[in-house]
Amino acid sequence: MKKKIAGMALPLLLALSLSAFAGVPLDTVKTNVDGVLEVLRDPKLQGEAGKKVKAQKIEAASDKMFDFVELSKRTLGLSWNKFTQEQRKEFVRLFKSILTDAYMDRITAYTDEQVNFTKEVPLSEDTVEVRSVVIGKQGNVPIDYRVIKEDNQWKVYDVVIEGVSLIGNYRSQFREILGSNPPETLLDTLRKKAGAR
Amino acid sequence: MSRRKPGRDRRGRGAPGWALGQALLIVLFLCLFPLHAAADGPDPSAGAGGEPRQLAGEVGPAQGGPEDKASDQYGNVTEEEAGGVGPRIADPLESWNRAMYHVNDKLYFWLLKPAAKGYKYVLPESVRGAIGNFYENIKAPIRIVNNFLQGKPRYAALELARFFINSTMGVGGLSECATTCFGIAGRDTGFGQTLGTYGVGFGFYIVWPVLGPSSPRDTVGWVADLALTPTTYVSSQWISPETVGLYVLDKVNYTSFHLGDYEALKAAAIDPYVAMRDAYVQNRKKALEQ
Repeated sequence: MKKKIAGMALPLLLALSLSAFAGVPLDTVKTNVDGVLEVLRDPKLQGEAGKKVKAQKIEAASDKMFDFVELSKRTLGLSWNKFTQEQRKEFVRLFKSILTDAYMDRITAYTDEQVNFTKEVPLSEDTVEVRSVVIGKQGNVPIDYRVIKEDNQWKVYDVVIEGVSLIGNYRSQFREILGSNPPETLLDTLRKKAGAR
Repeated sequence: MSRRKPGRDRRGRGAPGWALGQALLIVLFLCLFPLHAAADGPDPSAGAGGEPRQLAGEVGPAQGGPEDKASDQYGNVTEEEAGGVGPRIADPLESWNRAMYHVNDKLYFWLLKPAAKGYKYVLPESVRGAIGNFYENIKAPIRIVNNFLQGKPRYAALELARFFINSTMGVGGLSECATTCFGIAGRDTGFGQTLGTYGVGFGFYIVWPVLGPSSPRDTVGWVADLALTPTTYVSSQWISPETVGLYVLDKVNYTSFHLGDYEALKAAAIDPYVAMRDAYVQNRKKALEQ
């Protein structure tokens, strides 16, 4: 009997702590960004030797921080429906790899700068925009993270740098390709891009 | 914030609603993990026979869970979920623009980037920062006049204050004292944005050699801003060795702080030309809203 109660209490505790955690989108994003910065600044991971470990840690951190499926859906918009299940899965995988590769260097560039999280603005019932500012040597760069609540976790589905939305930027590029071509053509372009690295 | 709102609603409905929600959550959890519970059950008393059962129990939810979730996650999107279409710009001159994009791309890699790299190597960061501040300060008339024209006299006054403080205490604009000493934040703007607030649209996309992405509206804005920049009047002509030299120094100095930005944008893009065009439109649209 005692065991049974303990068995019931655990999920309850989990549920409570999860809901409390999900209550603060800004804190979630801040924690994740701080986590990435910590990896980047780790003196033990500097140089060529630490490069691989560093990349793995960053990937783990970005998996925790981003919802790549949601990000992909919103980038493709209604075109997502033209993809088969298999194509959707491949798209998410390729897009994630391209984004991670491309932004790795960019994130590294910001390691010395200070990041201030300023506020959160509700966008809809389950989405929030978390605003931050990177204090640069020559002017500040506003970076907004758009997060969605899923399974009681806030996950990033868009990053807006200086007013430019990441998914919006890719949507305009994909639209040109998908306008006159089948999904397979876009996947092929992405395969080449991801493979070239 | 969006979280706070439903929170308030819940409180409005009263404690029973909250308790019901909590109870539902518990039920949901119990339904979701019956196999875990079953597996946990025999575990302590586990002899040799307990093990296979435990294994079976663990395999069950591990397989079923993610798969169910995945098929749901990868399902169709509705129009609402897909999100709106972003801002667009007409591009009737695309073939000219693409050609100019390539010209500017080469100008960057062959001239601007090596120049900025050498410049960065020679001059310490503090000096480059001071030069950047000087250019920023001397462009104050653009911000003062246009904030005023956009019906933001408060920002016009703040920019005026910044200009006075930086020009005096900041030693002729070499130091950004207004912000660092007094925390005065201004608002960057220009005549293109003023036209935008008056309802003038972009027109269409145009890429100028050297100057880069623009539109008829922002081109007019650029010329007007040039007229409000004191350095334009160092010689009697708009285009002279002096004005061009000052422009190049500004550009090289700026680039020395932003090496790698363009490369990153290009590397991340599927079609760099379209990526640049979209970034231009999004950035200008956003600036108008602020």
